[in-house]
Amino acid sequence: MEPLINYITLSAILFGIGVYGLVSKRNALRLIFSVEIIINAAILNLVTFSTYSQPPTVSGQTFALFAIAVAAAEVAVGLAIIMVAFRLRSEIDVLDLKKLKG
Amino acid sequence: MVLPFLIVGILASFALILPGIGFFYKGFKNTHGWILSLIALLASLALLLTPPAYSLIQDQTISFTPSLTFDSLGIFFSIAMLMVSVFVVFSSYEFMKKEGNIAQYYSLILFSSAGMVLIAFSMDLLLLFIAWELMTIPTFVLAGFNKKAFESNEAAVKYFVLGTLSTGILLYGISLVYGLTGTLQLNEIFKILSQRALVDPLSLLASSLLIAGFGLKMAIVPFHMWIPDTYEGAPTTVSTFLAAGTKKAGFAAALRVFLIALPLKGLLNEWSLTFAFLAIITMTLGNIAALTQGNILRLLAYSSIAQAGYILIVFAIANGGTKALELGVSGALFHVLNHAIMKSAAFLVAALVIQHSGRADLDYYNGFSNRAPLTAFNFTIALLALAGVPPLSGFWSKFLLFTAAIEANMIWLALAGIVNTALSLAYYALIIKRMYIDEPQDNVKMPQPLAYTFILTLSTILIMFFGLFPDIVISYTQEAAKALIP
Repeated sequence: MEPLINYITLSAILFGIGVYGLVSKRNALRLIFSVEIIINAAILNLVTFSTYSQPPTVSGQTFALFAIAVAAAEVAVGLAIIMVAFRLRSEIDVLDLKKLKG
Repeated sequence: MVLPFLIVGILASFALILPGIGFFYKGFKNTHGWILSLIALLASLALLLTPPAYSLIQDQTISFTPSLTFDSLGIFFSIAMLMVSVFVVFSSYEFMKKEGNIAQYYSLILFSSAGMVLIAFSMDLLLLFIAWELMTIPTFVLAGFNKKAFESNEAAVKYFVLGTLSTGILLYGISLVYGLTGTLQLNEIFKILSQRALVDPLSLLASSLLIAGFGLKMAIVPFHMWIPDTYEGAPTTVSTFLAAGTKKAGFAAALRVFLIALPLKGLLNEWSLTFAFLAIITMTLGNIAALTQGNILRLLAYSSIAQAGYILIVFAIANGGTKALELGVSGALFHVLNHAIMKSAAFLVAALVIQHSGRADLDYYNGFSNRAPLTAFNFTIALLALAGVPPLSGFWSKFLLFTAAIEANMIWLALAGIVNTALSLAYYALIIKRMYIDEPQDNVKMPQPLAYTFILTLSTILIMFFGLFPDIVISYTQEAAKALIP
């Protein structure tokens, strides 16, 4: 079996990639991808800890299933919002959202 | 134990039925949605307020899942949050009169309310996360509900990006807590973490991620950027719901997680210092930013950030001994209830003005008392209570919070709170001056529809009642505080 630290490192790297994407990208779709990567990092963590815990528990894997479903629901709503944004202004650059300021 | 399920079941089933009716029955009007959702919300409130609910608390034999608790803390939070939902739905009778897709609007509010109730009762991180999302996802749609308006859509995009970020961070934090303890039950987590003498960096990381995740909803300062934009752009009843309702659910979750499960032994000093620091910058920045606003919605948004700072005091005094903690939790709960009422009233006045004139700038409030005397009076009471003027309810909860800070030997924290209260009086008083002293641009009477007037008068009565008889609420919040303090 792979040592635990490998999985945790992978998940931490994924988390870092997600955060990097969030702060550096301007396209709303890319922001969604970045958040998805963060959520997937967390899910990887949950499954890993669930498998490696002594004695093994299943609550982490249950949580992972729920988290996948929730993330899907969230993205469905987000894509709808971004589609409306595209219809209104025919681009989805988040830095151009400047109507509300003060 | 059955009661939380029953309430969530009522709310969710009405929420599921509503869009179906709207789809098949072409004559579906605002009134129908209004009546159906009010029935669901009032039935849930009645279930929580009736005496049988309290006798169930004592009865521990019927608990069949440790994930869900039924304590007075949960009841208190659900009453506060359902009350906000009732306020919002009631005034939507006027505000959403001309909107389309009305069945979906009420359905989403009911779903979100069901999520808030579930958060208040959950004792398990899995259930807490699901409830959190049940509360959050409908509000993304609600914020962008006015889909032809740029502002509403912009509010929804900003809220969505930061909202999903908070989900991701929260989930990562929860996964680390699970890795550290091997369980998701809050009580078990507390048992396991309190056995450890040393604090490892991983548990520090986990708790900071949880603070960030909850903080995005609670409007703590480094994570507050979306608040003013979203409250300004979203339909105003939805802003009311976000400011007075879902924010409180953030506090419900944070109180349970931070006070039950996560106070890391051996790190309590740093823990309380961090929260004291967060509380001070949150209230200061909120108040200073509110002073400079020319838009009533942004002003109220920043003021709600400042109010979050006052409530944060309760996390800062976790180290100060049982008596301080009891005072603090009871003050925080009282402030949550007060803030829910005061903030809904203030936002609903803004909603009334926006619906009537489409204007949200402060200049429109010049001479407001001539045009709409009763609304101006109710608004004044709500603003004075927000500022914490003595005979009103907002005073007592702040008083309890600051007393708790002094009890915990953090006089500087109480002092910062008092200075901020004085600071906040400046901009609240400025609005009142505009309404009563300044010359109006025109003297045209403004209509005061019954749906608004009823809710605003009700909130004024509640604010005065809780202000004159605070001991009724305090005796209850002290009971609820026992759920958190072992």
